[in-house]
Amino acid sequence: MSDAAFAPGAAAEGIPSAAARLPLRLRLAGVAPWLYLAPTLLGLGIFVYWPLIHTVALSMTEWNLNPDQPARFVGLENYGRVASSTLFEHAWVNSLIYVGASIPLKVLAPVPLAVFVWSLGARGHAYRAILFLPTLISFVAVAIAFLWILNPIFGYAKAWLGEIGVRLPALLTDADTAIWTIIAISSWKVMGFNMLLYLAGLASINRDLIEAMRMDGASDGVILRRLILPLLTPTLFFVLISTVIFTIQQVFTPIDILTGGGPQNSTTNLFHMVYQYTFVTFDVGAGAAGTVMLFALLMAVTAAQILTLDRRVEYGR
Amino acid sequence: MELSRSWRVIGHLVLLTCCLAVAAPVAVVLATALKSPSEVFQPSLWPSAPTFDNFATLFGKARFADYLWNSVATTVLRVSGQLVIALLAAWAFARFAFRGRDTLFAMVLGAMMIPHLLTMIPVYILMARLGWFDTWAALIIPNLAMPFAVFLLRQHMLAFPRDLLDAAEMDGAGPWRALWRVVVPNLAPALSALTIILFVECWNEYFWPLLVTETEASRTLQMGLREFLESDGYSDFGAMMAGVALASVPAVALFLILQRRVMDTFVASGLKG
Repeated sequence: MSDAAFAPGAAAEGIPSAAARLPLRLRLAGVAPWLYLAPTLLGLGIFVYWPLIHTVALSMTEWNLNPDQPARFVGLENYGRVASSTLFEHAWVNSLIYVGASIPLKVLAPVPLAVFVWSLGARGHAYRAILFLPTLISFVAVAIAFLWILNPIFGYAKAWLGEIGVRLPALLTDADTAIWTIIAISSWKVMGFNMLLYLAGLASINRDLIEAMRMDGASDGVILRRLILPLLTPTLFFVLISTVIFTIQQVFTPIDILTGGGPQNSTTNLFHMVYQYTFVTFDVGAGAAGTVMLFALLMAVTAAQILTLDRRVEYGR
Repeated sequence: MELSRSWRVIGHLVLLTCCLAVAAPVAVVLATALKSPSEVFQPSLWPSAPTFDNFATLFGKARFADYLWNSVATTVLRVSGQLVIALLAAWAFARFAFRGRDTLFAMVLGAMMIPHLLTMIPVYILMARLGWFDTWAALIIPNLAMPFAVFLLRQHMLAFPRDLLDAAEMDGAGPWRALWRVVVPNLAPALSALTIILFVECWNEYFWPLLVTETEASRTLQMGLREFLESDGYSDFGAMMAGVALASVPAVALFLILQRRVMDTFVASGLKG
Protein backbone atom coordinates (compact mmCIF):
# COMPACT_ATOMS: atom_id res chain seq x y z
CA MET A 1 0.00 0.00 0.00
CA SER A 2 2.55 2.60 1.12
CA ASP A 3 4.94 1.40 -1.57
CA ALA A 4 2.50 2.17 -4.35
CA ALA A 5 1.70 5.61 -2.95
CA PHE A 6 5.35 6.43 -2.51
CA ALA A 7 6.67 5.36 -5.88
CA PRO A 8 5.78 8.39 -8.06
CA GLY A 9 7.16 10.89 -5.51
CA ALA A 10 10.40 8.98 -5.16
CA ALA A 11 10.83 8.89 -8.92
CA ALA A 12 10.28 12.64 -9.18
CA GLU A 13 12.85 13.42 -6.49
CA GLY A 14 15.44 11.30 -8.24
CA ILE A 15 17.83 8.59 -7.23
CA PRO A 16 19.14 9.75 -3.81
CA SER A 17 15.86 9.21 -1.97
CA ALA A 18 15.45 5.77 -3.52
CA ALA A 19 18.97 4.90 -2.42
CA ALA A 20 18.23 6.18 1.07
CA ARG A 21 15.25 3.88 1.24
CA LEU A 22 17.18 0.87 0.05
CA PRO A 23 18.90 -0.20 3.28
CA LEU A 24 15.60 -0.21 5.19
CA ARG A 25 13.88 -2.25 2.47
CA LEU A 26 16.79 -4.65 2.38
CA ARG A 27 16.69 -5.05 6.11
CA LEU A 28 12.94 -5.63 5.95
CA ALA A 29 13.37 -8.13 3.14
CA GLY A 30 15.86 -10.02 5.30
CA VAL A 31 13.45 -10.22 8.22
CA ALA A 32 10.28 -10.84 6.23
CA PRO A 33 10.61 -14.60 5.63
CA TRP A 34 11.30 -15.10 9.32
CA LEU A 35 8.13 -13.27 10.24
CA TYR A 36 6.14 -15.49 7.88
CA LEU A 37 7.80 -18.56 9.35
CA ALA A 38 7.60 -17.57 13.00
CA PRO A 39 4.29 -19.25 13.93
CA THR A 40 5.24 -22.54 12.28
CA LEU A 41 8.76 -22.59 13.71
CA LEU A 42 7.51 -21.72 17.19
CA GLY A 43 4.83 -24.40 16.98
CA LEU A 44 7.16 -27.11 15.75
CA GLY A 45 9.89 -26.10 18.18
CA ILE A 46 7.66 -26.04 21.25
CA PHE A 47 5.37 -28.94 20.42
CA VAL A 48 7.50 -31.32 18.33
CA TYR A 49 11.26 -30.93 18.59
CA TRP A 50 11.64 -29.80 22.18
CA PRO A 51 9.29 -32.55 23.47
CA LEU A 52 11.32 -35.11 21.56
CA ILE A 53 14.47 -34.11 23.49
CA HIS A 54 12.50 -33.72 26.71
CA THR A 55 11.18 -37.28 26.32
CA VAL A 56 14.73 -38.64 26.17
CA ALA A 57 15.57 -36.67 29.33
CA LEU A 58 12.43 -37.90 31.10
CA SER A 59 13.25 -41.49 30.16
CA MET A 60 16.27 -41.28 32.45
CA THR A 61 14.36 -40.05 35.50
CA GLU A 62 11.97 -41.42 38.05
CA TRP A 63 8.91 -39.20 38.45
CA ASN A 64 5.18 -39.59 39.09
CA LEU A 65 3.85 -36.44 37.32
CA ASN A 66 3.47 -34.72 40.70
CA PRO A 67 4.81 -31.15 40.28
CA ASP A 68 5.71 -30.92 43.99
CA GLN A 69 7.98 -33.91 43.76
CA PRO A 70 11.25 -33.43 41.86
CA ALA A 71 12.25 -35.95 39.21
CA ARG A 72 15.18 -38.15 40.24
CA PHE A 73 17.90 -39.08 37.74
CA VAL A 74 18.23 -42.85 37.40
CA GLY A 75 20.24 -43.27 34.19
CA LEU A 76 19.21 -46.12 31.95
CA GLU A 77 17.42 -48.02 34.71
CA ASN A 78 13.96 -47.38 33.22
CA TYR A 79 14.90 -49.04 29.94
CA GLY A 80 15.99 -52.20 31.71
CA ARG A 81 12.90 -52.15 33.90
CA VAL A 82 10.52 -51.72 30.94
CA ALA A 83 12.32 -54.25 28.74
CA SER A 84 12.16 -56.93 31.41
CA SER A 85 8.50 -56.36 32.37
CA THR A 86 5.81 -58.84 31.34
CA LEU A 87 3.73 -55.93 30.03
CA PHE A 88 6.49 -55.06 27.57
CA GLU A 89 6.82 -58.67 26.51
CA HIS A 90 3.08 -58.83 25.74
CA ALA A 91 3.10 -55.42 24.07
CA TRP A 92 6.06 -56.30 21.89
CA VAL A 93 4.72 -59.69 20.78
CA ASN A 94 1.25 -58.25 20.18
CA SER A 95 2.69 -55.38 18.15
CA LEU A 96 4.36 -57.96 15.92
CA ILE A 97 1.05 -59.83 15.59
CA TYR A 98 -0.83 -56.63 14.75
CA VAL A 99 1.72 -55.67 12.10
CA GLY A 100 2.21 -59.23 10.79
CA ALA A 101 -1.52 -59.85 10.41
CA SER A 102 -2.06 -56.50 8.75
CA ILE A 103 0.17 -57.43 5.80
CA PRO A 104 -2.04 -60.12 4.25
CA LEU A 105 -5.31 -58.48 5.35
CA LYS A 106 -4.70 -54.80 4.72
CA VAL A 107 -1.84 -54.78 2.21
CA LEU A 108 -2.23 -57.84 -0.03
CA ALA A 109 -5.97 -58.55 -0.02
CA PRO A 110 -6.90 -55.18 -1.56
CA VAL A 111 -4.62 -55.79 -4.60
CA PRO A 112 -6.91 -58.18 -6.52
CA LEU A 113 -9.93 -56.09 -5.51
CA ALA A 114 -8.28 -52.98 -6.93
CA VAL A 115 -7.28 -54.71 -10.16
CA PHE A 116 -10.84 -55.91 -10.63
CA VAL A 117 -12.43 -52.50 -9.91
CA TRP A 118 -9.89 -50.92 -12.24
CA SER A 119 -10.87 -53.35 -15.01
CA LEU A 120 -14.45 -52.11 -14.65
CA GLY A 121 -13.42 -48.54 -15.48
CA ALA A 122 -16.00 -45.89 -14.63
CA ARG A 123 -18.57 -48.56 -13.79
CA GLY A 124 -16.59 -49.37 -10.64
CA HIS A 125 -17.36 -46.02 -9.04
CA ALA A 126 -20.07 -47.31 -6.70
CA TYR A 127 -17.67 -49.87 -5.27
CA ARG A 128 -15.08 -47.19 -4.62
CA ALA A 129 -17.54 -44.89 -2.90
CA ILE A 130 -18.93 -47.57 -0.59
CA LEU A 131 -15.59 -49.10 0.33
CA PHE A 132 -14.12 -45.65 1.07
CA LEU A 133 -16.74 -44.83 3.69
CA PRO A 134 -14.97 -46.42 6.72
CA THR A 135 -12.00 -44.10 6.18
CA LEU A 136 -14.05 -41.09 7.22
CA ILE A 137 -15.79 -42.52 10.27
CA SER A 138 -13.87 -42.01 13.49
CA PHE A 139 -12.29 -45.07 15.01
CA VAL A 140 -14.19 -44.43 18.25
CA ALA A 141 -17.50 -44.61 16.43
CA VAL A 142 -16.39 -47.75 14.58
CA ALA A 143 -15.20 -49.46 17.76
CA ILE A 144 -18.39 -48.67 19.68
CA ALA A 145 -20.54 -49.83 16.77
CA PHE A 146 -18.77 -53.18 16.74
CA LEU A 147 -19.03 -53.40 20.52
CA TRP A 148 -22.80 -53.38 20.04
CA ILE A 149 -22.85 -55.70 17.01
CA LEU A 150 -20.63 -58.23 18.78
CA ASN A 151 -22.42 -57.92 22.13
CA PRO A 152 -22.51 -61.55 23.32
CA ILE A 153 -26.08 -61.33 24.66
CA PHE A 154 -28.06 -58.89 22.50
CA GLY A 155 -25.80 -58.19 19.53
CA TYR A 156 -26.89 -58.47 15.91
CA ALA A 157 -24.03 -60.83 15.11
CA LYS A 158 -25.34 -63.27 17.71
CA ALA A 159 -28.88 -63.15 16.32
CA TRP A 160 -27.80 -63.45 12.70
CA LEU A 161 -25.35 -66.26 13.35
CA GLY A 162 -28.03 -67.94 15.47
CA GLU A 163 -30.25 -68.08 12.37
CA ILE A 164 -27.72 -70.32 10.66
CA GLY A 165 -27.05 -72.30 13.83
CA VAL A 166 -23.68 -70.82 14.81
CA ARG A 167 -23.11 -69.78 18.41
CA LEU A 168 -21.25 -66.48 18.75
CA PRO A 169 -18.50 -66.73 21.37
CA ALA A 170 -17.63 -63.76 23.61
CA LEU A 171 -14.93 -62.59 21.22
CA LEU A 172 -13.65 -59.58 23.14
CA THR A 173 -13.42 -61.10 26.60
CA ASP A 174 -11.50 -64.20 25.49
CA ALA A 175 -7.73 -63.74 25.47
CA ASP A 176 -7.38 -65.99 22.40
CA THR A 177 -9.84 -64.15 20.16
CA ALA A 178 -9.76 -60.52 21.36
CA ILE A 179 -6.66 -59.49 19.41
CA TRP A 180 -8.01 -61.04 16.20
CA THR A 181 -11.27 -59.21 16.63
CA ILE A 182 -9.41 -55.92 16.87
CA ILE A 183 -7.32 -56.85 13.82
CA ALA A 184 -10.49 -57.61 11.87
CA ILE A 185 -12.09 -54.30 12.86
CA SER A 186 -9.01 -52.28 11.95
CA SER A 187 -8.85 -54.11 8.61
CA TRP A 188 -12.49 -53.18 8.07
CA LYS A 189 -11.52 -49.55 8.63
CA VAL A 190 -8.52 -49.39 6.31
CA MET A 191 -8.99 -51.94 3.53
CA GLY A 192 -11.07 -49.78 1.23
CA PHE A 193 -8.65 -46.92 1.57
CA ASN A 194 -5.72 -49.10 0.58
CA MET A 195 -7.72 -50.34 -2.38
CA LEU A 196 -8.11 -46.73 -3.52
CA LEU A 197 -4.36 -46.20 -3.18
CA TYR A 198 -3.80 -49.15 -5.50
CA LEU A 199 -6.38 -47.76 -7.90
CA ALA A 200 -4.42 -44.50 -7.99
CA GLY A 201 -1.33 -46.53 -8.85
CA LEU A 202 -3.20 -48.46 -11.53
CA ALA A 203 -4.57 -45.26 -13.06
CA SER A 204 -1.07 -44.37 -14.21
CA ILE A 205 -0.75 -47.56 -16.29
CA ASN A 206 -1.10 -46.84 -19.97
CA ARG A 207 -3.97 -48.92 -21.33
CA ASP A 208 -2.38 -48.92 -24.79
CA LEU A 209 0.33 -51.19 -23.39
CA ILE A 210 -2.34 -53.73 -22.48
CA GLU A 211 -3.89 -53.54 -25.94
CA ALA A 212 -0.45 -54.03 -27.48
CA MET A 213 0.20 -57.10 -25.33
CA ARG A 214 -3.18 -58.52 -26.17
CA MET A 215 -2.52 -58.06 -29.87
CA ASP A 216 0.61 -60.10 -29.35
CA GLY A 217 -1.62 -62.84 -27.97
CA ALA A 218 -0.94 -62.41 -24.24
CA SER A 219 -3.59 -63.83 -21.91
CA ASP A 220 -5.09 -61.99 -18.92
CA GLY A 221 -2.83 -63.94 -16.57
CA VAL A 222 0.30 -62.95 -18.47
CA ILE A 223 -0.75 -59.29 -18.62
CA LEU A 224 -1.38 -59.35 -14.87
CA ARG A 225 1.95 -60.99 -14.02
CA ARG A 226 4.20 -59.26 -16.52
CA LEU A 227 2.71 -55.78 -16.70
CA ILE A 228 0.24 -54.83 -13.97
CA LEU A 229 1.89 -56.31 -10.88
CA PRO A 230 5.40 -55.01 -11.67
CA LEU A 231 4.02 -51.51 -12.27
CA LEU A 232 2.07 -51.75 -9.02
CA THR A 233 5.10 -52.67 -6.89
CA PRO A 234 6.04 -49.09 -5.89
CA THR A 235 2.47 -48.47 -4.71
CA LEU A 236 2.59 -51.75 -2.84
CA PHE A 237 5.66 -50.61 -0.93
CA PHE A 238 4.04 -47.32 -0.10
CA VAL A 239 0.87 -49.04 1.13
CA LEU A 240 2.95 -51.48 3.15
CA ILE A 241 4.89 -48.81 5.03
CA SER A 242 1.94 -46.50 5.63
CA THR A 243 -0.14 -49.43 6.84
CA VAL A 244 2.57 -50.49 9.31
CA ILE A 245 2.73 -46.97 10.72
CA PHE A 246 -1.07 -46.78 10.84
CA THR A 247 -1.25 -50.11 12.62
CA ILE A 248 1.29 -49.13 15.28
CA GLN A 249 -0.53 -45.88 16.06
CA GLN A 250 -4.22 -46.02 15.32
CA VAL A 251 -4.97 -49.41 16.82
CA PHE A 252 -4.71 -47.62 20.16
CA THR A 253 -8.28 -46.41 19.81
CA PRO A 254 -10.02 -49.80 19.43
CA ILE A 255 -7.75 -51.27 22.11
CA ASP A 256 -8.70 -48.51 24.53
CA ILE A 257 -12.43 -48.71 23.74
CA LEU A 258 -12.91 -52.45 23.31
CA THR A 259 -10.54 -54.19 25.71
CA GLY A 260 -8.37 -51.66 27.55
CA GLY A 261 -5.41 -53.86 26.62
CA GLY A 262 -6.88 -56.97 28.29
CA PRO A 263 -7.85 -59.70 28.87
CA GLN A 264 -4.53 -60.53 30.53
CA ASN A 265 -2.66 -58.01 28.34
CA SER A 266 -3.58 -60.07 25.29
CA THR A 267 -4.45 -57.03 23.14
CA THR A 268 -2.09 -54.34 24.43
CA ASN A 269 0.56 -52.93 22.07
CA LEU A 270 3.60 -50.71 22.58
CA PHE A 271 1.61 -47.50 22.25
CA HIS A 272 -1.00 -48.67 24.73
CA MET A 273 1.81 -49.79 27.06
CA VAL A 274 3.26 -46.25 27.02
CA TYR A 275 -0.20 -44.89 27.77
CA GLN A 276 -0.65 -47.27 30.69
CA TYR A 277 2.76 -46.52 32.20
CA THR A 278 2.42 -42.76 31.89
CA PHE A 279 -1.23 -41.92 32.39
CA VAL A 280 -2.60 -44.89 34.33
CA THR A 281 0.20 -45.73 36.75
CA PHE A 282 1.96 -42.30 36.47
CA ASP A 283 5.34 -43.92 35.94
CA VAL A 284 6.64 -41.19 33.64
CA GLY A 285 10.19 -42.54 33.38
CA ALA A 286 9.00 -45.92 32.14
CA GLY A 287 6.50 -44.29 29.78
CA ALA A 288 9.20 -42.06 28.30
CA ALA A 289 11.59 -45.02 27.97
CA GLY A 290 8.87 -46.94 26.11
CA THR A 291 8.32 -43.88 23.88
CA VAL A 292 12.01 -43.75 22.97
CA MET A 293 11.92 -47.46 22.06
CA LEU A 294 8.84 -46.83 19.89
CA PHE A 295 10.66 -43.89 18.34
CA ALA A 296 13.53 -46.16 17.28
CA LEU A 297 11.07 -48.61 15.77
CA LEU A 298 9.15 -45.91 13.88
CA MET A 299 12.36 -44.33 12.60
CA ALA A 300 13.38 -47.66 11.13
CA VAL A 301 10.02 -47.92 9.36
CA THR A 302 10.20 -44.29 8.23
CA ALA A 303 13.68 -44.78 6.81
CA ALA A 304 12.27 -47.65 4.78
CA GLN A 305 9.45 -45.33 3.68
CA ILE A 306 11.87 -42.67 2.45
CA LEU A 307 13.78 -45.28 0.47
CA THR A 308 10.59 -46.57 -1.16
CA LEU A 309 9.37 -43.06 -1.91
CA ASP A 310 12.60 -42.47 -3.82
CA ARG A 311 11.86 -45.60 -5.81
CA ARG A 312 8.39 -44.34 -6.54
CA VAL A 313 9.74 -41.09 -7.94
CA GLU A 314 12.16 -42.95 -10.19
CA TYR A 315 9.34 -45.04 -11.57
CA GLY A 316 7.46 -41.90 -12.50
CA ARG A 317 10.20 -40.72 -14.84
CA MET B 1 -9.19 -54.80 -19.68
CA GLU B 2 -11.75 -57.50 -20.41
CA LEU B 3 -11.82 -60.37 -17.97
CA SER B 4 -13.33 -63.72 -18.77
CA ARG B 5 -16.94 -64.19 -17.75
CA SER B 6 -16.32 -66.46 -14.77
CA TRP B 7 -13.69 -64.12 -13.30
CA ARG B 8 -16.08 -61.22 -13.71
CA VAL B 9 -18.77 -63.05 -11.76
CA ILE B 10 -16.36 -64.00 -8.99
CA GLY B 11 -15.01 -60.45 -8.83
CA HIS B 12 -18.46 -58.92 -8.49
CA LEU B 13 -19.42 -61.46 -5.84
CA VAL B 14 -16.32 -60.74 -3.75
CA LEU B 15 -16.76 -56.98 -4.03
CA LEU B 16 -20.46 -57.14 -3.25
CA THR B 17 -19.58 -59.14 -0.13
CA CYS B 18 -17.08 -56.44 0.86
CA CYS B 19 -19.65 -53.71 0.28
CA LEU B 20 -22.14 -55.64 2.37
CA ALA B 21 -19.53 -55.96 5.13
CA VAL B 22 -19.14 -52.18 5.08
CA ALA B 23 -22.83 -51.40 4.80
CA ALA B 24 -24.16 -53.86 7.40
CA PRO B 25 -22.59 -52.20 10.48
CA VAL B 26 -23.72 -48.80 9.19
CA ALA B 27 -27.26 -50.14 8.80
CA VAL B 28 -27.19 -51.68 12.29
CA VAL B 29 -26.07 -48.37 13.83
CA LEU B 30 -28.81 -46.39 12.06
CA ALA B 31 -31.51 -48.97 12.81
CA THR B 32 -30.57 -49.16 16.50
CA ALA B 33 -30.40 -45.38 16.78
CA LEU B 34 -33.97 -45.04 15.47
CA LYS B 35 -35.50 -47.77 17.64
CA SER B 36 -37.56 -47.23 20.75
CA PRO B 37 -36.12 -48.60 24.00
CA SER B 38 -38.52 -51.55 23.98
CA GLU B 39 -37.31 -52.63 20.57
CA VAL B 40 -33.55 -52.06 20.86
CA PHE B 41 -32.79 -55.58 21.97
CA GLN B 42 -34.62 -57.19 19.04
CA PRO B 43 -32.39 -57.90 16.08
CA SER B 44 -34.72 -56.62 13.34
CA LEU B 45 -32.99 -54.39 10.83
CA TRP B 46 -35.74 -51.81 10.67
CA PRO B 47 -37.55 -50.21 13.61
CA SER B 48 -41.32 -50.77 13.50
CA ALA B 49 -41.92 -47.19 14.64
CA PRO B 50 -38.85 -45.04 13.97
CA THR B 51 -38.29 -42.44 16.67
CA PHE B 52 -35.76 -39.75 17.47
CA ASP B 53 -36.08 -40.35 21.24
CA ASN B 54 -32.52 -41.64 21.42
CA PHE B 55 -31.17 -38.40 20.04
CA ALA B 56 -33.29 -36.52 22.56
CA THR B 57 -31.67 -38.61 25.31
CA LEU B 58 -28.24 -37.50 24.11
CA PHE B 59 -29.12 -33.84 24.39
CA GLY B 60 -31.30 -34.14 27.47
CA LYS B 61 -29.82 -36.70 29.83
CA ALA B 62 -26.25 -36.60 28.52
CA ARG B 63 -24.38 -33.44 27.63
CA PHE B 64 -24.02 -33.91 23.88
CA ALA B 65 -24.91 -30.27 23.27
CA ASP B 66 -21.69 -29.32 25.07
CA TYR B 67 -19.70 -31.99 23.27
CA LEU B 68 -21.03 -30.94 19.88
CA TRP B 69 -20.31 -27.28 20.56
CA ASN B 70 -16.76 -28.07 21.71
CA SER B 71 -16.13 -30.20 18.63
CA VAL B 72 -17.52 -27.67 16.17
CA ALA B 73 -15.79 -24.67 17.75
CA THR B 74 -12.38 -26.26 18.24
CA THR B 75 -12.44 -27.82 14.77
CA VAL B 76 -13.33 -24.53 13.07
CA LEU B 77 -10.77 -22.54 15.04
CA ARG B 78 -8.03 -25.12 14.70
CA VAL B 79 -8.46 -25.77 10.98
CA SER B 80 -8.60 -22.02 10.20
CA GLY B 81 -5.50 -21.44 12.28
CA GLN B 82 -3.68 -24.33 10.66
CA LEU B 83 -4.50 -23.03 7.18
CA VAL B 84 -3.35 -19.45 7.88
CA ILE B 85 -0.14 -20.49 9.62
CA ALA B 86 0.71 -23.04 6.93
CA LEU B 87 0.02 -20.49 4.16
CA LEU B 88 2.44 -18.03 5.75
CA ALA B 89 5.19 -20.61 6.17
CA ALA B 90 4.70 -22.07 2.70
CA TRP B 91 4.89 -18.56 1.24
CA ALA B 92 8.17 -17.90 3.07
CA PHE B 93 9.64 -21.08 1.59
CA ALA B 94 8.27 -20.50 -1.91
CA ARG B 95 8.74 -16.73 -2.32
CA PHE B 96 11.91 -15.79 -0.41
CA ALA B 97 15.53 -16.83 -0.67
CA PHE B 98 17.22 -16.64 2.72
CA ARG B 99 20.02 -18.29 4.60
CA GLY B 100 19.05 -21.58 6.24
CA ARG B 101 15.93 -22.02 4.13
CA ASP B 102 16.69 -25.57 3.01
CA THR B 103 17.68 -26.64 6.52
CA LEU B 104 14.46 -25.23 7.93
CA PHE B 105 12.38 -26.89 5.25
CA ALA B 106 14.07 -30.20 6.04
CA MET B 107 13.09 -29.62 9.69
CA VAL B 108 9.48 -29.11 8.67
CA LEU B 109 9.56 -32.31 6.63
CA GLY B 110 11.20 -34.10 9.56
CA ALA B 111 8.38 -32.99 11.86
CA MET B 112 5.94 -34.60 9.41
CA MET B 113 7.52 -37.95 10.21
CA ILE B 114 7.18 -37.57 13.98
CA PRO B 115 3.81 -38.80 15.19
CA HIS B 116 2.06 -37.25 18.19
CA LEU B 117 2.58 -40.29 20.29
CA LEU B 118 6.30 -39.55 20.53
CA THR B 119 5.82 -36.03 21.89
CA MET B 120 2.72 -36.42 24.03
CA ILE B 121 4.28 -36.76 27.50
CA PRO B 122 6.22 -33.46 27.52
CA VAL B 123 3.36 -31.62 25.80
CA TYR B 124 0.99 -33.03 28.42
CA ILE B 125 3.31 -31.78 31.19
CA LEU B 126 3.49 -28.39 29.48
CA MET B 127 -0.32 -28.18 29.37
CA ALA B 128 -0.41 -28.98 33.09
CA ARG B 129 2.13 -26.23 33.88
CA LEU B 130 0.19 -23.70 31.80
CA GLY B 131 -3.07 -24.72 33.46
CA TRP B 132 -4.62 -25.44 30.08
CA PHE B 133 -6.39 -28.70 30.89
CA ASP B 134 -10.06 -28.66 29.90
CA THR B 135 -9.63 -25.57 27.72
CA TRP B 136 -10.01 -25.11 23.98
CA ALA B 137 -6.45 -23.80 23.96
CA ALA B 138 -5.12 -27.27 24.83
CA LEU B 139 -7.09 -28.79 21.95
CA ILE B 140 -6.11 -26.11 19.44
CA ILE B 141 -2.69 -24.58 20.08
CA PRO B 142 -0.36 -27.62 20.24
CA ASN B 143 -1.64 -28.72 16.81
CA LEU B 144 -1.60 -25.39 14.99
CA ALA B 145 1.70 -25.86 13.16
CA MET B 146 0.95 -28.49 10.54
CA PRO B 147 4.04 -29.64 8.59
CA PHE B 148 2.06 -31.59 6.03
CA ALA B 149 0.02 -28.51 5.16
CA VAL B 150 3.18 -26.40 4.77
CA PHE B 151 4.66 -29.03 2.49
CA LEU B 152 1.55 -29.36 0.32
CA LEU B 153 0.96 -25.61 -0.04
CA ARG B 154 4.62 -24.93 -0.83
CA GLN B 155 4.46 -27.46 -3.66
CA HIS B 156 1.42 -25.69 -5.10
CA MET B 157 3.00 -22.26 -4.72
CA LEU B 158 6.16 -23.36 -6.51
CA ALA B 159 4.00 -24.51 -9.40
CA PHE B 160 2.25 -21.14 -9.45
CA PRO B 161 2.71 -19.26 -12.77
CA ARG B 162 5.59 -16.82 -12.40
CA ASP B 163 3.99 -14.31 -14.79
CA LEU B 164 1.03 -13.72 -12.51
CA LEU B 165 3.32 -12.94 -9.58
CA ASP B 166 5.45 -10.62 -11.70
CA ALA B 167 2.35 -8.81 -12.90
CA ALA B 168 1.22 -8.35 -9.31
CA GLU B 169 4.60 -6.97 -8.28
CA MET B 170 4.62 -4.59 -11.25
CA ASP B 171 1.33 -3.26 -9.96
CA GLY B 172 3.12 -2.52 -6.72
CA ALA B 173 1.88 -5.40 -4.60
CA GLY B 174 4.40 -6.49 -1.97
CA PRO B 175 4.79 -10.15 -0.95
CA TRP B 176 2.05 -9.80 1.68
CA ARG B 177 -0.54 -8.49 -0.75
CA ALA B 178 0.57 -10.88 -3.48
CA LEU B 179 -0.03 -13.78 -1.11
CA TRP B 180 -3.57 -12.84 -0.09
CA ARG B 181 -4.78 -11.17 -3.29
CA VAL B 182 -3.13 -13.30 -5.97
CA VAL B 183 -1.89 -16.62 -4.63
CA VAL B 184 -4.61 -17.62 -2.16
CA PRO B 185 -7.59 -17.06 -4.50
CA ASN B 186 -5.85 -19.19 -7.11
CA LEU B 187 -5.06 -22.00 -4.67
CA ALA B 188 -8.74 -22.67 -3.94
CA PRO B 189 -8.72 -26.33 -5.10
CA ALA B 190 -5.63 -27.17 -3.06
CA LEU B 191 -6.96 -25.29 -0.05
CA SER B 192 -10.33 -26.99 -0.14
CA ALA B 193 -8.66 -30.40 -0.41
CA LEU B 194 -6.41 -29.55 2.51
CA THR B 195 -9.36 -28.28 4.53
CA ILE B 196 -11.12 -31.61 4.08
CA ILE B 197 -8.11 -33.54 5.39
CA LEU B 198 -7.54 -31.22 8.34
CA PHE B 199 -11.24 -31.21 9.18
CA VAL B 200 -11.59 -34.99 9.25
CA GLU B 201 -8.37 -35.39 11.20
CA CYS B 202 -9.41 -32.86 13.83
CA TRP B 203 -13.04 -33.98 14.08
CA ASN B 204 -12.09 -37.62 14.56
CA GLU B 205 -9.14 -37.01 16.88
CA TYR B 206 -9.09 -39.32 19.84
CA PHE B 207 -5.84 -39.58 21.73
CA TRP B 208 -4.98 -35.98 22.50
CA PRO B 209 -8.45 -34.95 23.75
CA LEU B 210 -8.37 -38.10 25.87
CA LEU B 211 -5.36 -36.71 27.71
CA VAL B 212 -6.33 -33.06 28.13
CA THR B 213 -10.09 -33.06 28.68
CA GLU B 214 -11.07 -34.24 32.13
CA THR B 215 -14.26 -32.34 32.92
CA GLU B 216 -17.50 -33.17 31.14
CA ALA B 217 -18.03 -29.61 29.94
CA SER B 218 -14.72 -29.60 28.04
CA ARG B 219 -15.12 -32.86 26.12
CA THR B 220 -15.35 -33.15 22.36
CA LEU B 221 -17.85 -35.40 20.61
CA GLN B 222 -15.43 -38.32 20.31
CA MET B 223 -14.63 -38.08 24.03
CA GLY B 224 -18.33 -37.73 24.74
CA LEU B 225 -18.93 -41.07 23.03
CA ARG B 226 -16.31 -42.70 25.24
CA GLU B 227 -17.74 -41.04 28.33
CA PHE B 228 -21.28 -42.11 27.47
CA LEU B 229 -20.12 -45.66 26.78
CA GLU B 230 -18.65 -45.88 30.26
CA SER B 231 -21.62 -44.31 32.05
CA ASP B 232 -24.78 -45.45 30.21
CA GLY B 233 -23.70 -47.03 26.96
CA TYR B 234 -23.94 -50.64 28.01
CA SER B 235 -27.51 -50.25 29.24
CA ASP B 236 -28.78 -47.81 26.62
CA PHE B 237 -27.46 -49.00 23.29
CA GLY B 238 -30.13 -47.03 21.41
CA ALA B 239 -28.77 -43.71 22.62
CA MET B 240 -25.21 -44.98 22.25
CA MET B 241 -25.76 -45.72 18.55
CA ALA B 242 -27.50 -42.36 18.12
CA GLY B 243 -24.28 -40.82 19.44
CA VAL B 244 -22.19 -42.85 17.02
CA ALA B 245 -24.38 -41.70 14.14
CA LEU B 246 -24.23 -38.08 15.30
CA ALA B 247 -20.43 -38.14 15.52
CA SER B 248 -20.13 -39.62 12.04
CA VAL B 249 -22.59 -37.33 10.27
CA PRO B 250 -20.34 -34.37 9.38
CA ALA B 251 -17.57 -36.39 7.75
CA VAL B 252 -20.02 -38.63 5.89
CA ALA B 253 -22.10 -35.64 4.74
CA LEU B 254 -18.95 -34.00 3.44
CA PHE B 255 -18.24 -37.16 1.53
CA LEU B 256 -21.70 -37.42 0.01
CA ILE B 257 -21.47 -33.82 -1.21
CA LEU B 258 -17.93 -33.94 -2.53
CA GLN B 259 -17.37 -37.63 -3.26
CA ARG B 260 -14.76 -37.40 -5.94
CA ARG B 261 -12.73 -34.63 -4.38
CA VAL B 262 -12.69 -36.23 -0.94
CA MET B 263 -11.48 -39.56 -2.27
CA ASP B 264 -8.84 -38.03 -4.53
CA THR B 265 -7.63 -35.82 -1.71
CA PHE B 266 -7.17 -38.63 0.76
CA VAL B 267 -5.52 -40.87 -1.77
CA ALA B 268 -3.12 -38.15 -2.88
CA SER B 269 -2.13 -37.42 0.70
CA GLY B 270 -1.75 -41.05 1.68
CA LEU B 271 -3.18 -40.18 5.11
CA LYS B 272 -5.29 -42.86 6.68
CA GLY B 273 -8.30 -41.60 8.62
